Amino acid sequence: MDTFMSFTAYGADEKLLQEAEEIVRGIEDRLSVTKEGSEIRRLNETGQADISEETAILLFSTLLYADMTRGALDPSIYPVTKLWGFTTGEYRVPARGEIEALLPLVDYTKIQITENEAGTSKAMLPEGAMIDLGAVAKGFTGVVLRDYLRQKGVQSALLDLGGNIQAVGKKPGGAPFQIAVKDPGRDGYLGVLSLDLPDLAVVTSGAYERYFEEGGVRYGHIMDPKSGRPAASGLLSVTVIHNDGVLCDAMSTALFVMGEERAIELWRKLNSFEFLIVTEDGRLLVSEGNEGRFTKDSGCAYKAEIVHR
Amino acid sequence: MKTRTWIILIVAFTLTALAASAWILMSKKSSGVAQVLADGELVRTIDLASVKEAYTFEVTTEKGTNVILVEPGRICVKDADCKDHSCVKMGWLQDQATPIVCLPHKLVIRIVDADGPDAVVQ
Repeated sequence: MDTFMSFTAYGADEKLLQEAEEIVRGIEDRLSVTKEGSEIRRLNETGQADISEETAILLFSTLLYADMTRGALDPSIYPVTKLWGFTTGEYRVPARGEIEALLPLVDYTKIQITENEAGTSKAMLPEGAMIDLGAVAKGFTGVVLRDYLRQKGVQSALLDLGGNIQAVGKKPGGAPFQIAVKDPGRDGYLGVLSLDLPDLAVVTSGAYERYFEEGGVRYGHIMDPKSGRPAASGLLSVTVIHNDGVLCDAMSTALFVMGEERAIELWRKLNSFEFLIVTEDGRLLVSEGNEGRFTKDSGCAYKAEIVHR
Repeated sequence: MKTRTWIILIVAFTLTALAASAWILMSKKSSGVAQVLADGELVRTIDLASVKEAYTFEVTTEKGTNVILVEPGRICVKDADCKDHSCVKMGWLQDQATPIVCLPHKLVIRIVDADGPDAVVQ
């Protein structure tokens, strides 16, 4: 996943942390779109591939979230992400015709997972389609590590996977982990989230970290699968809190694409996660269930608003 | 003076000295200790609060070199021979929980601060 990760596990020995590192590499080997031997690469190159149970579970979950968000999250967006140069760093603004030629390939409903006779799983894509599970990979890794560490007797740990946070339990002694939330508009924090429940994950999505500028316009890396262009729904960042890191990862991306109204509608409907949303017009929306756990930073200029169920 | 008087004076002085040093230690503002790690190993620990004059030092591994600049209360990567220079672009590290990272060189500079957040979600 080519990013900086920091694991702090209380009561874990060197061996356990090395095992954790191996787990991360193993997941990366299977999910990478570029690595040779990766299941996803094989799937993208040939249109069908046997996948491990772990990948099947993740792909299945991702498709569920795609459905829940009516396609705001769509793993088959990959050809479009590539077109804009976000995969290589060779950024460019494609012509409308180029985008429109690829849009028919962006359709999560066409991704199939079937079971082989032997009981293993197989994934299939229509001709030309390609997927990338990058939007959920870090959240997934966090959950796998959390479960593994718990299984090995670790009751307290904080995993920072390239900015995705996954807690195991709470701090030793029961104090909550304090997670600062980056302010998308300035060099500072929105505030601090106190993880008052055990095993919580926190993920933030926004265009503020990965983007390029051309002709005075900023193009972010989070694509809107419907338009094939960077999402422009009036939001600067979305932070999701829940104990399922995959949900947090998936929802933070999807809600960013959906915009304020649709995001709040989905939040009310699902009644499971909590959020912090920063809008382009300078408001910091705090979901009702998050009110008690979030403390706004004195330097944060946004106007805080509680969103009620 | 009598021995007893000396003893009382010495004890009184010692107690006063202890109380004074305790007061000084407690009122000293913790401005964070910076740790420089190369490939996971601690190569340098710097108490940023006690830095009086700016200075630089280099961290060289087989992957490359980073030039670190230390000023009173803050630290940054001034220069590096890595390809993307994102470590330099990260700017100053003062008291945030986000470390400066040079991924190709596996260099990490972080502040260890007992009062700060445990991590930063981003």
